[in-house]
Amino acid sequence: MAEGERRSATQGKAAEEELRMYRGREGQWAFLLHRLSGLAILTYLLLHVFSIGSFIFGERFYMAIHETYDLWPFRIGLLFVTAGVVYHAFNGLRIIIMDFTGFGVAYQRQMWYGVLLISVVAFIGAAWTLYPRLMGGY
Amino acid sequence: MIRARTFTDARQQSHNNAELNWWIFMRISGLILVFLILGHIYMTFIQVSESDATFDAVVNKLASPAWKFYDWLILALSLMHGANGARYSIEDYVRSRPNRAWVKGVFYTVIALVFAFGTVGLFSI
Repeated sequence: MAEGERRSATQGKAAEEELRMYRGREGQWAFLLHRLSGLAILTYLLLHVFSIGSFIFGERFYMAIHETYDLWPFRIGLLFVTAGVVYHAFNGLRIIIMDFTGFGVAYQRQMWYGVLLISVVAFIGAAWTLYPRLMGGY
Repeated sequence: MIRARTFTDARQQSHNNAELNWWIFMRISGLILVFLILGHIYMTFIQVSESDATFDAVVNKLASPAWKFYDWLILALSLMHGANGARYSIEDYVRSRPNRAWVKGVFYTVIALVFAFGTVGLFSI
């Protein structure tokens, strides 16, 4: 086999491996969840900056928004924001490990299940700690 | 957007330095934000109650230069990180060029306004 052919064969194999990582397997779900959680966090961030920053319009304006956010759907929503941030943070670390280490890609699937586990634990932990406040009001 | 798994791939795929710099920025800002934001959530949501975030509490907290700096760092890094991440999504899913132009225009304007509003709020106390 000529040198060029051998090289293109290796490249073809690498490309195939990459497809396998992203198509229909854990890599694809990790990617999709990363995007969705990222967009959700960005939406929350824009609202959060506005509602906290609204103190510059005075106490009445600030408290009007704050009391609206005290409704129970928003309180429960904070739990999902927390879990979303934890997922995005730890999956981001997984991406960094994949990009900058030699062993990262080989263990990306195991790391993703670790990320999911950490996110679920964070969600349950936060829900457990905050349960009285979330249910009974503040 | 760069679909690369390694730094070498990213450098080869990037058409210009700006795109490569954003790729690096996402990793570095992400790493810093992990600590800043998880700390922020722990201190302001898990540790204390939402009802403690009254008008007076917010004003008192932000009077301290250290919290001003901490919160402004989160504001700046997370808005840039989020804006660039959303740009990847817009470029992937908004396929027609004119639509992409105005979607991006509106989106960047909103980001700029929120950044200005947050900065003014932080440093107005």
